Amino acid sequence: MVDLDHKGWRIFASPLVGFLLLFLGFPILIDLVYSLSRVSFTNLRSPEIVGFGNYGEVLGDAQFWRASWFSLRFGVITAILECVLGLGLAVFLSPLIEKRSWLMAPLMLPLMVAPAMIGLMYRLVLHEFVGPVPYYLYLWFGDSPSFLNAENAFWTLVVVETLQWTPFALLLFYTAYRAIPNDVREASAIDGASARQILTAIELPLMRPTLIFTFFIRFIDGFRVFDNVYTLTGSGPGGSTTSLPIYIYEAFFKQGAIGKAIAASVILFLASFVGLYALTWLSRRGKGAAS
Amino acid sequence: MLKFTKITLSALALITTSLGAANAAVTVLGWPGGSEETALRAVAEAYNAQSGVADADKVELLFYSRDGFYDKLQADMAAGSSAFDINLLATYSIGRYASYMEPVDLGPDAAKVFGESVLKTMQFNGKQYGVPTDLSLHFMYYRKDLIDALLADPAARAKYAEISEKYLGRRLEPKAPDSWTWDDWAATALYFAKSVNPESPVRYGTVLQMKNLLFNIMVWQSVARANGGDWMDASGNITIDSPAYRTALELYKKLYDAGASPKDSLSYEYAETNAAFGSGQVATALQWNAAASELTDPAKSPAVAENVGIVAPPAGSAGRADHIHGLGLGINKNAKNKPGAAKFLQWLATEDTALLYARSGGSPALLPDVAAKIAKERPDLVTLGQYAGAYGYVMTGATSASAFPVYELQAKEFTGYWSGQETLDEALANTKAGMEKLLKQ
Repeated sequence: MVDLDHKGWRIFASPLVGFLLLFLGFPILIDLVYSLSRVSFTNLRSPEIVGFGNYGEVLGDAQFWRASWFSLRFGVITAILECVLGLGLAVFLSPLIEKRSWLMAPLMLPLMVAPAMIGLMYRLVLHEFVGPVPYYLYLWFGDSPSFLNAENAFWTLVVVETLQWTPFALLLFYTAYRAIPNDVREASAIDGASARQILTAIELPLMRPTLIFTFFIRFIDGFRVFDNVYTLTGSGPGGSTTSLPIYIYEAFFKQGAIGKAIAASVILFLASFVGLYALTWLSRRGKGAAS
Repeated sequence: MLKFTKITLSALALITTSLGAANAAVTVLGWPGGSEETALRAVAEAYNAQSGVADADKVELLFYSRDGFYDKLQADMAAGSSAFDINLLATYSIGRYASYMEPVDLGPDAAKVFGESVLKTMQFNGKQYGVPTDLSLHFMYYRKDLIDALLADPAARAKYAEISEKYLGRRLEPKAPDSWTWDDWAATALYFAKSVNPESPVRYGTVLQMKNLLFNIMVWQSVARANGGDWMDASGNITIDSPAYRTALELYKKLYDAGASPKDSLSYEYAETNAAFGSGQVATALQWNAAASELTDPAKSPAVAENVGIVAPPAGSAGRADHIHGLGLGINKNAKNKPGAAKFLQWLATEDTALLYARSGGSPALLPDVAAKIAKERPDLVTLGQYAGAYGYVMTGATSASAFPVYELQAKEFTGYWSGQETLDEALANTKAGMEKLLKQ
C-alpha cells in the first residue's frame, strides 16, 4: 500500500474538493443568498437582500408545520410498516426463496416502477368508475369507501407507499437473515432454544445493523415523499396531503415565492442534518453497548 | 497536417453557416401533444410554403412535454433564453410572462376575426401580447334521455319538487337544461343522486371536480360569477368575501355532502370527470369544452355518447357566465428574429389562417360570421364562439402576474372548506388575506 504524505493527500483530494465546491458549494451559496432575499423569477439576477424575513415567514406559516407533521408521520409510519412486513416476509419466505431463488424477481417488481407511475396507476385503480377495487367492493358489498377524501387520503397513501417499498426491506432483511451462520441456529437448538427464542435472542440481534439501516433509509425516503403523492392527490383538499417537498415545490413554482421556498429547504436541510447526526450518534452508542 | 487543418476549418465554417441559418428561422414553442400541436403544425407548414416568406423567416416548431410545461417555460424565460422566438402563453399566466415578452401589433383585422372580448384574453395592462389561438370554456353536459324522462313523468316531477324543497328550501319544477338556473341544476343533481333518491336510474346527479387544483377553480367559479362575484372591484378592493362567493361555495358543499357527486370528487379533475360521466352513472357534468369530442364519440363513450346534450352553464342572479381563457402565441423578449416572429403572428391573426387552424383541429374562438364559414366541419366552434361572445368573462385581476398563485390559493382554501377542514368564514378570510398580499405585490 502506498503511504501518502500530507502533500500527496492534498494533490489527490483536490479534484474531489473542487468538484464538491463547484457542484455543491456554489448552489448552496446561491441558495443561502436567495433565502435571505426578496426574489422572484423577475429579479433572479438581482435579488434584494432582506435578512431573515423568509425564515420568519416559513416558521410562522401553519402550512409549513402541517407539511412537516405530514412528512414526519408518513416517514415514521411507512418505515415501521415496511420493516415489520419486510422482516416477516423475509423470515417466513426464507426457506421457500432458498429453494426457488427466482421467486425474488417477481417480489422485487414494484421497485422497478417509478413512484410517479405508481401514483398515476392508483388514480385508475381507485377510481370509482374505472378502477377494479371500487368495482369489486360495489359488486360484493354494494358500496365503496372514499379512498382519497381528506380523512382517508393519508392512509391510502401510506398503503400505496408500503406496497411499493416493502420488497426493498424484504430484500435487505432476507440477505441479512441468510448471512447468519446456520451453526449458530443449530447450536441454539441443541441448547434447547425454541424457534421464537432463536428469532428474538439470536437472529434479530444479529440482524440489528441491517434493521436500523433499513429503517433509516425507508424513513428518509418516506419523509421526502413527493412523486406518488403529487400524482395521486396533489397537495390534497385544503393542503391535507402536502409533504415538505410538495410545500417547497409549490412555494417555488406555483406561488413564485422563491426566497420562502429556499428558506424552507434550508430549514429542512438543517433539521435533516441534526436528525441524521443524532441517529448516527445513537447508532454508535448502541454498537458500543452491544460490544 | 495542412490538409487536416483545411478540412477542420471547412467543417467549422459549414457548421457555423448552418447554425446561423437555424438562428435566422422563427422558432415557435407550442403546446405539445394535442389538437393544438396538430393545428400549429398544419399552419406552420402552410406559412413556410408561401413564396413570399424568406428562408430566414421560415417557422420551426419546438415542443416540451406537457408535464410542468409552465414551470419549465418560466425558468427558461427568467434565464433569458433565446432558444425560441415565439412562445405559448395562457390568459391566467400572461401577467407572469409579460415582463419577458414583447407586445405585438396584430393589425386591424384581428378584431374582425376574433372579436374584442377574445383578443382581451391575450392582453395585459392594455397591451396585446399574443394571438389567441385556442379558447377554453365550459359546457354543461347532461343526459338527454334522463332529463326527457324526468320532464315527461308527473310522479318524477312531484318527487323532484319534494327533493328541491327539502334540500334547497324551494319547490322547483323540472325545466329544460337550456333554461336552468344553478338551483335548477342543483335540484336535478340531487334528484338523480341515489343517496337522495334511491329510485334514481343513475348513481349520481352530477360530478364535481373538486381536487385542489387551480383549473378546478376555473370550472367552479362561473357559479360565483353568475351570481355577481368578482375578485376585486374597480378600486382594487378584494371582493371575494361576498354573497355570490358564499352562495357558490355552499352550493358545491351541499351537493357533495348530500352525495350528489362521487365520494372521491375531492380528488377529481378533468380525466376523472370524463370517466365518471362516460360511465353512464352520472346525469350532469360541468366540464371543459375540450371534453365534447370524447363524450359524444360512441367509440370513446359508448354508454352515453348518443344521449349527451350540451348547453351553456346555468344562470345565476346576475345572468349566465362562462369562464374563458385562451392559449396563444406571443414574442419572446430575447427572440433572435423579432421581425420574423411578428410577421408570423400577424399572418396567424388573419381570417384565412384562423380558418385553416380550425380545420386542422384547433379551437379558435371566432366571431359568428367567421365561424359560420366552417359550421359544417366544426359545429362545436359555432357554439364555442356563441358562448364566448355572450357569456365569456375573465375575473378582474385574473391576467395579473399573481393570477396563478391566486388560483392556487383559492383551490387550497376552497377545497379545505368543501372537505370540512375549514369553515366557510375561515376559507374566505384566508383567501381574502392571501389575495390582498398577492395582488398588491
